[in-house]
Amino acid sequence: MNRRDFLKTGLAGAAGASLLGAAVSPDLITRAYGRTATRQKLIILGFDGMDSHLFQVWLAEGKLPAFKRLIGQGDFRTLGTSIPPQSPVAWSNFITGMDPGGHGIFDFMNRDPKLYIPVFSASETEEAKRTIRLGNLVLPLSAGKVKQLRRGRAFWQILEEHDVPATIFKMPSNYPPVETRQKTFSGMGTPDILGTYGICNYYSTRPARAAEELGGGGARLHEVYLIGNRMDAKLAGPVNTFKKDRPDTEVDFSVWVDPVHPVAKVVIQGQEFLLREKEWSDWKRVRFGLIPTQSVAGICRFYLKEIRPDFKLYVTPVNIDPADPALPLSTPDSYSKELARRFGPFFTKGLPADTNALGNGLLDEQEFLDMDNMILAEKDDILEYELNRFDSGVLFYYVSSTDQRQHMFWRFLDKTCPTYDPLLASKFGSVIPDIYQEADRILDRVMRKADKDTVIMVMSDHGFNPFRRCFNLNSWLRDSGYHALIDPGKDSNEDFFPNTDWRRTRAYGVGLNALYLNIRGRESQGIVPAGAEAERLLREIAAKLEQAVDPQTGERAILRAFVSKDIYHGAAAGLAPDIVLGFNRGYRISWGSPTGKIARNAFEDNKDKWSGDHMGAPEVIPGILAMNRKIKAGTPALYDLTPTILQVFGVDPPPEMRGRAIL
Amino acid sequence: MGKEKIKLDKDLLDKVKKLSELAGYSSVEEFVAHCLEKEISKLEESDSEEEVKKKLKGLGYIS
Repeated sequence: MNRRDFLKTGLAGAAGASLLGAAVSPDLITRAYGRTATRQKLIILGFDGMDSHLFQVWLAEGKLPAFKRLIGQGDFRTLGTSIPPQSPVAWSNFITGMDPGGHGIFDFMNRDPKLYIPVFSASETEEAKRTIRLGNLVLPLSAGKVKQLRRGRAFWQILEEHDVPATIFKMPSNYPPVETRQKTFSGMGTPDILGTYGICNYYSTRPARAAEELGGGGARLHEVYLIGNRMDAKLAGPVNTFKKDRPDTEVDFSVWVDPVHPVAKVVIQGQEFLLREKEWSDWKRVRFGLIPTQSVAGICRFYLKEIRPDFKLYVTPVNIDPADPALPLSTPDSYSKELARRFGPFFTKGLPADTNALGNGLLDEQEFLDMDNMILAEKDDILEYELNRFDSGVLFYYVSSTDQRQHMFWRFLDKTCPTYDPLLASKFGSVIPDIYQEADRILDRVMRKADKDTVIMVMSDHGFNPFRRCFNLNSWLRDSGYHALIDPGKDSNEDFFPNTDWRRTRAYGVGLNALYLNIRGRESQGIVPAGAEAERLLREIAAKLEQAVDPQTGERAILRAFVSKDIYHGAAAGLAPDIVLGFNRGYRISWGSPTGKIARNAFEDNKDKWSGDHMGAPEVIPGILAMNRKIKAGTPALYDLTPTILQVFGVDPPPEMRGRAIL
Repeated sequence: MGKEKIKLDKDLLDKVKKLSELAGYSSVEEFVAHCLEKEISKLEESDSEEEVKKKLKGLGYIS
């Protein structure tokens, strides 16, 4: 089934909002592409989460020689991030040159003011409106739709209007990829085949033990039995919307375990392969059947973690197959297929490293790194390919591993981290410096290919901070008298505010940095009158938040509580949360508060392996900007890079851009 | 399978009868059941709480 058919079924919508991709007009894809060869060229390397402080320390220690060379030819600045410094927000600033008031992405989540529940902020979907039912089948008569919710034009769309070519590889916050004739491949936000940000499959003969490890979700756990030396199991696929009862699709597979040696044979859809214990398979293509004439393609890799005493098999989240994408991965459609033809299958899920599997103990640190190294190697090949044919316009290339490894391995840089482990630190303490050095090697390759007319811009969307202590915003609001419970004696640590008395609640938190007032006429059970009273309450809560002190450490949890009307500009500013939190170093929103859990205590230790984060006030978490050109601006910010990209090609920025060119 | 009756306004029922015939449904009941199933599935599947949780869990930021 091709992408258009898949969309038409509405199948994607059933699997989740972000799974339904915006149909790219075939006219745009097939029309001849008028490229103007540009003498000036621009290569942009985007290292997600590369932290300014760590960068400067390791630069001074001589660990980043390519960066040193680049900066010697040009300049370095810390780079102002977005408010809040969450990746979808930050990359949207970079893409559009606007702040969230312009592009409308304020957080990973928005909230539905009628239901007080989180809704996904990046895209929304509609299933096929017209269907016909034939017995047990529901057949679509019209196409499903997907909408990218980011507003404003992307810089490569503006360049296209001026015939400047661009190749944009794995740009975050660009799923579904916006309409363009430029070559683009979607990055963070691209779902797996289930429509999620990544659910792996894990097969074990001792599922109870695995279930204990599985506190954080993000996996489907399967209990399996070895009968003789054979195990039968199912790989879960998307919901089958062709069927009236919408069952999950699945693919059967079998594993034969060698009775003596630590080896097993896996058989799935006619593919047979041997795996030794601790070995990863290469990519396997699977097809999930819907009805006799329709199926959906996915790709996954198998990892045989253990054979004896327990059998443990990990299968990556099923990625969308770039050779036969059921959902839109690229513009034009053919770009994804071109890369797949040349390189075979590769990770297409937005943030491909399975941080959940490490967090849950399904993979250990080394296994996670092995997976992330595969991701880096795949991307390296594609970078080489694009560099070799790059002769005009813009090439953007993105690396996620800097972000993902800092999230998971910060605990080994920080002895005060609640999950610091000296033994593991001795083995994995160099993971973060190593990935900065890997970034340096990537830059070195780029510099070797670049001629004198090539501007090189290396940037990150935000820095990184330790995440030692959790702050439950909703618990704090309860303790401060702004959030009322129906039964104060009842445990409220459940999702979606089940114990909240909305008729007595003045404020609530949904999302990672967001606070909302319960406004009359806006929220379904709002009680705070809009206008002067809301304004007074906002200022009062913001002031108190900035004074909130962690009783265990004596430190302030929140450095800045921004009243959104003070900081955002543009037509979407009215959709913003009322207050945006900027955390102090060491602090982040708790694990449960974003979805309405109200814990007993407002503060607690972060006991997760996810030990670095970036929800801080912008001044404690800047990114980096290194260029082989002099930078005139003293304190550039992400949204200044967008007009700077246009400036390289003599294109004037559109009036809606907030940023200013910096060269 | 047990069956329950529901009351419909007469004007609405007339429309339902007419349209179910035009649309080729074998009975008014089948048409009404189809409409209700469609509406229910829309509500159940519109970026539900669980969907948001599932997606964000994949990212790693919430528990």
